[in-house]
Amino acid sequence: MKFLPLILKNVFRKKTRTLLTIGSIMLPLLVICVMGTFLRALDRPDAAAERGMYRLVVRHKVSLTSLLPLAYQEKIRQLDGVTAATNFNWFGGQYLDRSPRNMFPRFAVEAQSFLKVFDDATIVKGSADEWLHDRAGCLVGQNLSDKFGWKIGDKVVLKGDIFPVNVELTIRAIYFLPSGTSASLFFNRTYLDEALPAFQGLLGTVWIKARDAEAAGRLTRDIDPQFENSPFPTKTETEKAFQMEFVSMLGNVKLLITSIGIVIVFVILLIAANTMAMAARERVTEIAVLRTLGFQRSTILSLVLGESVAIAVLGGLLGIGVFMLLEPVFKRGLQASPMSTLAATMKIYPEILALGFAVAVGVGILAGLVPAIRSAQRTITDGLRQVA
Amino acid sequence: MSEPLIQIQSVVKQYTRDTQKLTVLDGLSINVDEGDFVALMGPSGSGKTTLLNLIAGIDRPTKGKILVGRDEVSSMSEGALAKWRSQNVGFIFQLYNLVPVLTAYENVELPLLLTNLSRARRKQQADLALSVVGLSDRKDHYPRQLSGGQEQRVAIARAIATDPKLLVADEPTGDLDAKAGEEILVLLERLNAEFKKTIVMVTHDPRAASRAHRLVHLDKGVLKEDVRGVPGQAVGMAAAAATAAGS
Repeated sequence: MKFLPLILKNVFRKKTRTLLTIGSIMLPLLVICVMGTFLRALDRPDAAAERGMYRLVVRHKVSLTSLLPLAYQEKIRQLDGVTAATNFNWFGGQYLDRSPRNMFPRFAVEAQSFLKVFDDATIVKGSADEWLHDRAGCLVGQNLSDKFGWKIGDKVVLKGDIFPVNVELTIRAIYFLPSGTSASLFFNRTYLDEALPAFQGLLGTVWIKARDAEAAGRLTRDIDPQFENSPFPTKTETEKAFQMEFVSMLGNVKLLITSIGIVIVFVILLIAANTMAMAARERVTEIAVLRTLGFQRSTILSLVLGESVAIAVLGGLLGIGVFMLLEPVFKRGLQASPMSTLAATMKIYPEILALGFAVAVGVGILAGLVPAIRSAQRTITDGLRQVA
Repeated sequence: MSEPLIQIQSVVKQYTRDTQKLTVLDGLSINVDEGDFVALMGPSGSGKTTLLNLIAGIDRPTKGKILVGRDEVSSMSEGALAKWRSQNVGFIFQLYNLVPVLTAYENVELPLLLTNLSRARRKQQADLALSVVGLSDRKDHYPRQLSGGQEQRVAIARAIATDPKLLVADEPTGDLDAKAGEEILVLLERLNAEFKKTIVMVTHDPRAASRAHRLVHLDKGVLKEDVRGVPGQAVGMAAAAATAAGS
């Protein structure tokens, strides 16, 4: 510890260079924390299941765009372990225009059973009753209403594209779902059934609320065999697995993010190593003088390594600090992206902060190792002969 | 009669440059008594700085033996030698070689960091060393805020901070003007006379050499002349003669 002041004085010997190096470590560390958190959110167990909500999704085995008979919902509802079942139908359509900013999930749902399956949702404004009794009413997520500045009673017009019908809806309630994004719009499927009779008797997906974890596991295995030889085979999965399918549509996200992370670590390693090599080269004579005074090779090694680690740790801590400040901003950004479902599980994970810190320390050690060994191994007479 | 502080016995020092072997010291034997003030002179390449480095334990002889006190420095391990240097030798360089990011006080405290002394004791010794060289009022100044003479005095304070018996100086006035150089020589004389430090000093400057009690003149790695006498008289004349011969 008595050498710490010397290490810190050496760290800030060339202030501009040190600050630039700290900055060049801070920014990649910030990116690593963001990417690590994203990966952690991908791997995180079902957010609803963590709250004791075991939801499953049944869809057509071939693809999400293939529909299932409405009768499936009732068959599934009668299975042992099913507490409630509802159906979702992707409406799509346009709100205002085709810009990505105005894109959000819109579903026609069976309102009564919807509220039973999603009974962890809270109505924060308006009332569920008003929505249930208004055929043209809709339920919107809190984040969505915040984004568009919607209030109860506001009109939302969706121009149909998949379904050739425009729907004019009135906001009757605003919900908050702790395990979800709270950024979707739901309206009564009776509206769609009446506007498009051809659609009656069909559904997109069946959403099930299972009694418990055991029932959820059993149902995941048991439902599909029942419909295997029908014209409408099914695929049953957990809510989390279902949502992850949308993320996987972007490709092997995990591999991509991990690869970028490795490249970033390598780049900051090169930057830090260059700084330390320059710092050690400039101080050859000074290090020889310290050895003349009696400093052991091991002490010199520790001083140079300590300096490298101090710079890297300062950069790392700043990166982690900035990440913690900006995490809510990243979360909002994620909510507005095609991977919005991840926003619910995105938070500051202590293990990711620890990973960021470990990367910083590792970069500091690796970057300083070669200059430190060279400084310690150079003979005193060679060092004193060097013209700085 | 007491044993000499430094005993150099048949020391050979060779360097290999590319494929060529260069003999810098060739079987040199010389003793230095405790409390002596010795000037090493000789033309460039005569081996005086090499001899100084060997005495200070920062280099090793190819052959021969070097004893300082009871310690055979020529056979010590690297680690033991570093520890020995920190306790027994103070080194004064021509270009002062202070650490620029440390204050005068922190520079003087550097060798004390290698001891087990408490912070309070380190402060006491560093303050004492700075007061001996007359720079107590400049302790918080950085090297860039000091004149060359003041920097060299801080370097001397650093050399005496651990109270070593032996001071080795490599052209301590070589980078100073006449006035500052004179102040440094007066300080070295005082350290020798008052604090009983044994001093071995490499110099090209006959004026500096004349302050020593003994002049050792080397040439091509061998002892050419060894003159003892009253400073300013026999040594001074020999120093002037050695300089004339060297030039």
